[in-house]
Amino acid sequence: SLVIRGEKDEHAVLCSKDKTYDMKIADTSNMLLFVPGCKTPEELNADPASCNIIHSQIAGYSKNYWELRRCRPKLKKLRKLLMEDPYEGPDSQKDQTLAFSKYTTEDLLSLIQASEEEILHQLQVIDACNIEGYWRILDFDYEMKLLNHVTQLIDSESWPLSKVPLCACIEELGSLEPGEMIEHILLSYGRKYVDDAGEVFFEMREDKICRAIAQMLLQNAVKFNLSEFEEVWQQSVPEGMTTRLDQLQGLALVDKSSRPETIFLLKVEDLPEDNQERFNSLFGIREKWTEVDITPYIQDLCAEKQTVGALLTKYARSSMLNGVKVYNSRRPIS
Amino acid sequence: LSRRGGTGALAQWVLLELQGEVEPRQSGDLARSLLGDLHYTCEGVPVLIVGHHILYGKVVQLEKPFAVLVKQGGAPQPSPVGPHGHYTVTALIKTKLLFKTRPKPIITHVPKKV
Repeated sequence: SLVIRGEKDEHAVLCSKDKTYDMKIADTSNMLLFVPGCKTPEELNADPASCNIIHSQIAGYSKNYWELRRCRPKLKKLRKLLMEDPYEGPDSQKDQTLAFSKYTTEDLLSLIQASEEEILHQLQVIDACNIEGYWRILDFDYEMKLLNHVTQLIDSESWPLSKVPLCACIEELGSLEPGEMIEHILLSYGRKYVDDAGEVFFEMREDKICRAIAQMLLQNAVKFNLSEFEEVWQQSVPEGMTTRLDQLQGLALVDKSSRPETIFLLKVEDLPEDNQERFNSLFGIREKWTEVDITPYIQDLCAEKQTVGALLTKYARSSMLNGVKVYNSRRPIS
Repeated sequence: LSRRGGTGALAQWVLLELQGEVEPRQSGDLARSLLGDLHYTCEGVPVLIVGHHILYGKVVQLEKPFAVLVKQGGAPQPSPVGPHGHYTVTALIKTKLLFKTRPKPIITHVPKKV
């Protein structure tokens, strides 16, 4: 089955089970006539008995047709919808009767211009969880609260970061938070595995945890002194974890030109989805970018088999600055 | 929603591509009118005779085949709550007969002297 998806103000896309295609109408000045059952020369040669007059009817004609081109699924809207009502936990003071901003899988299938598999995969990528049939994204503060419960417990129990037991976590923390949420945070920030005895454990993901803690620190100010930030950050992460700036790709940007060097929050998911708009936005933030700095912010724009280099060639202009290749906008930014 | 209709293999149609417009001889509809005669030469070249014109074309295997969709159901005005239309894939088109040369008039009687 194929589905055409899109609201009135969106360009229609066609979705298979796992792919998304842009739909465009193509015009031709020629007339295209459809003839059902019309035989080609090969078919007639293969069947010499049919060399009599065959009356064929032209079923219809058209001067335009739809063309499909594989495209990136349009998933930015998914996060936007789920952020309308982030889940703050069962004890939240929020008015629970305002349920209009909650979305089931069916709702998402009719609102998001992507195939079902692409949507379900993205829900996993953004750590959405299904609560009472609705897909929810956790409020960041609530998410950090849950993560903190787990990391504190790991510390007090002296569990190795690579072997955190699910059952014990739910047992110890179940009085503070619902078991499903404990499990959800472990699934989001750890890799699940089962040992030979059939018990479920999690290998905690150092990079993801460090990254989340960095976001928590950075979101409270416009920018930070880089060396101060690095110190506080290392002190804030769980015992045994090491922070590294490359954990922050697509989340934060270092300004090496300021004295002292600073760092500020810049989340790729907050930037426009359209290629040209994305580049305009990036060049509005910073006039010249090195490839290393800009790559995390344009990686997701690459179509199948397209490279970051190809994108840069198309949307940017390169020049040399102090012996380093930099990219700037092709057009003046207002 | 596009869906394969019925059982068995999908019908294969052929596209006839002509330059310009096709008009009925007298005033009237194209529907139920005769377009012309289609022949193939021994070499497999399609030849179309329309009225007193003859056109030579060629058989082209389409790089991107077409699917013929027929719309069924659905409300006249699309709406999120109303019934959704279905498109049924009725046929596939993998071949076209392309006629892009200028039609030549068929002259059967040439007077010797005026």
